[in-house]
Amino acid sequence: MRNLARVLAFDVAAPLAAISALLIIGVMLEWPLWWVSVCSILCLLIVEAVLVNAVLYRRDSVTVGTDDDKPGLRLAVVGVASAALLSAAAIGYNSWVQPDRVFTADSADVVRIATEVAEATATFTPSDPNSSIERAASLMVPERAEAFKAQFGSATADMVKRNMSAQAITMSAGLETLGPSSASVAVLMRGTQSAPGQDPSSAVLSLRVALSRESGSWRVVDVSPINAR
Amino acid sequence: MPETDQVTQSQGRRTGMVSGFGIASAVLALAAVVAAAVIAVMWSGHRAAASERSYQARSMQAAAEWTGVLINMNTDNVEASLVTLRDGTVGELNSGFDASIAPYREVVKTLRSRTTGRVESVSIEEFHRDLDSQSGRRPPESLAPELADRTDTVLVVATSVSENAGAKPTTVRWNLRLGVSDVDGKPMISRLESVR
Repeated sequence: MRNLARVLAFDVAAPLAAISALLIIGVMLEWPLWWVSVCSILCLLIVEAVLVNAVLYRRDSVTVGTDDDKPGLRLAVVGVASAALLSAAAIGYNSWVQPDRVFTADSADVVRIATEVAEATATFTPSDPNSSIERAASLMVPERAEAFKAQFGSATADMVKRNMSAQAITMSAGLETLGPSSASVAVLMRGTQSAPGQDPSSAVLSLRVALSRESGSWRVVDVSPINAR
Repeated sequence: MPETDQVTQSQGRRTGMVSGFGIASAVLALAAVVAAAVIAVMWSGHRAAASERSYQARSMQAAAEWTGVLINMNTDNVEASLVTLRDGTVGELNSGFDASIAPYREVVKTLRSRTTGRVESVSIEEFHRDLDSQSGRRPPESLAPELADRTDTVLVVATSVSENAGAKPTTVRWNLRLGVSDVDGKPMISRLESVR
């Protein structure tokens, strides 16, 4: 009975666990070519060891699991199997848990930044014409921020002269695409423009905000109207 | 009796030097079992996240296709389009479909308009602020839980150009919030709302 348990544990379960751990690592890494080759070599070695073990059992009537003279070999077998499983757990954390968490955090981040920039680009106060432009520019990539400031500079002067003010509030924002280093967010806002002596007019503004990850943090690359036609 | 000998022999060893290796093996085996359990938990979590993403992609696809039919309705295809649209809906939107869409059908037929529309943007809504909630408008109810497992909101922005008989073309901008419900694994439109 005790021998049967030892055979099941050391001669059967341990190699099976090691092989499954190697295969699971393959699934986690999505089978890159190098792992296909490493995995097949390692699996072949394990299968070979199992076969040798079986042949020696026929000759000596004793296996790795039941050989009382070789406790160290048993420890090595268990060590290899648990090393494989522990590596699989570590790789799984790295390639499953971590990216999923990053994805969730990113989707909240990009939507927050996109709505902030979208609102800032459509907001204007004549008394402080540059505040919202600066706010939007601070969340953009440097090249884009310069272009954006230049583009809005001329429009600003005109709006100051006419004493117009504009306000935008986000009604809805949605994620179009999200990858590891780039994202695109659609923002629907209600924009209200008012000038002295005129009734304020409001309209729905739909903007697409493209973002990219620059050294760890998301920055806006482009803001463009969705309904360009 | 070699059998008995073996047992006594091994029992004698077990109390001696074997125990060190035995304990180490047991500790490693325990670690391996824990690792296997952790892998199982991570796998199920990852599978849930992956199926969530693929479901959202299908929701967006369904919403885009449905809107595509809606904004491309012409005199020639109005009947077929309405059937397609109704088949894609579920819940209140489905039961009240004919009543709510009937006036629209008449308009399309009498104007003999030719409409070409294009979906410009489809996205999964992550943020929503109801600006009109103060004015007492009741928020649209989500679908009954026995009908759908879940309802996501998909934002669709589209443009269509209508050429009415004898008039100059008009451009219509569509800013839609579609409720997409999971009905037995199939995404169906359960709510249609225009963002104003």
